[in-house]
Amino acid sequence: MRRHLLDLILFSTYAELRAERSRSYLGLIWWVLEPAMMMLVFWLVFGVILHNGGPDYVPFLLIGFTIWQWIKSCITHAGYAIWSNLPLIRQAPLPPLMFALVQMLADTVKFFFIFMLLLVVLWFMGFPPNMAYIALLPLFVIVFIFAIGAGFVVAAVVPLIPDLRFVIEQFLTILMFLSGVIFSLDAVPPDLAQILALNPILELIEATRGILMHAQWPNLMTMFRVAIESLAICVVGIAMVQRLSPRYPKLAA
Amino acid sequence: MMDNVLIELDKVGIAFAAQRRVGGGRFWALEEVSLTLRRGERLGVIGRNGAGKSTLLRVLAGILTPDRGTVTRKPISVQLLALALGFVPYLTGRDNAVLSGLMLGLRRSDIKSRLAAIKDFSELGDFFEQPIATYSSGMVMRLGFSVAIQVDPDVLLIDEVLSVGDAEFREKSGLALRERINDGRAVVLVSHDESQIASICDRVLWIEEGRSVMEGPRDDVFAAYNAALHHPA
Repeated sequence: MRRHLLDLILFSTYAELRAERSRSYLGLIWWVLEPAMMMLVFWLVFGVILHNGGPDYVPFLLIGFTIWQWIKSCITHAGYAIWSNLPLIRQAPLPPLMFALVQMLADTVKFFFIFMLLLVVLWFMGFPPNMAYIALLPLFVIVFIFAIGAGFVVAAVVPLIPDLRFVIEQFLTILMFLSGVIFSLDAVPPDLAQILALNPILELIEATRGILMHAQWPNLMTMFRVAIESLAICVVGIAMVQRLSPRYPKLAA
Repeated sequence: MMDNVLIELDKVGIAFAAQRRVGGGRFWALEEVSLTLRRGERLGVIGRNGAGKSTLLRVLAGILTPDRGTVTRKPISVQLLALALGFVPYLTGRDNAVLSGLMLGLRRSDIKSRLAAIKDFSELGDFFEQPIATYSSGMVMRLGFSVAIQVDPDVLLIDEVLSVGDAEFREKSGLALRERINDGRAVVLVSHDESQIASICDRVLWIEEGRSVMEGPRDDVFAAYNAALHHPA
């Protein structure tokens, strides 16, 4: 039974990636081109026009944006996952959790492609590989746990309140700015900064920048705290989907 | 509970939200339905439109959990026959066959070994390797049926889909389904086509407005059903 579910999830992920590739002319290229275009826009606005970047602004932005894009796509895609599969959920006894997970696994695969490209770009910009890269693996495990946790929470609620779809995008935009993706939050007053530091995304992105740009190992205590927060969100997300599961087959899409 | 009872429903009720708005009420698609399904039994479910027949099948399939009453089931596989379940337009017939098969509860290895049979039965030929977005609706249904007929559950649930496609394929698919029905597994068939039920089922459950009215031998239930239909109380 478990084996079967794993097969189903893996093949669905493959199918999702495969289908996405064939949905457009450029297919796979869009996985990288789309975030690259977004980064270009932000670089133009904040780096060139507003000039508030500082010397290492481009790598700062590229790293922040790559990690953010991974988390964001997980949350938005998972948000639609159960809702858009309601016709299927009404026809077959499938665990709703899997639809959200499949989307987020597909997003994670895409992230790794983008991340490889990011590494190449960074090397060319003068940030060579270093020993601290080893810390990327546990770090990304935490990011993944956080992202799927947040994704499950949104996925659980959207089928019941589809109106939320209109709010999520704006909420995520605010969250992006509060996570230090586009510009550093050094300038904010210290008491506010303390509150903002509770945001796991901020810490995760800062740790990634530290590794890639300054060969700096992440702070263990901070990572431990963020890992606990992420796990908590993940547990809440799974519990919410499982709790609401009996209601989904009764909903109209 | 007797040993050969596979699924037992006791006064099961299912409520749906009437509308998606704050304070929207509920309506009971099933009020109170009881039935027992035994090994090898072929049960027909009759009743007018909106009587709750399809809802009942979804309870038996384990998709809906009752809001009242109880469902007791042995650890068995139950499959609601669904065509083109989970099909993705941009994927090839082959990939869709695997995906749909997994969703229908088949094991990956089983599907792999049956892919040749699926391709053969669907009569798709080279189209099997093409995205199903290029198919006609008849071809999609043929593929859907060819996959669905591969499942081998302990209890097969059928909701009015006995045959698909053109006349020739309809005959072939009808035949294949009958083989599945007649090889000794338990079957529940929902239909308002009396002759279909008469030719397949030995016992019949009659439901009306979400309640069991009568359950028993086919001919007895049909007699009562027709009497009520033509001479409403």
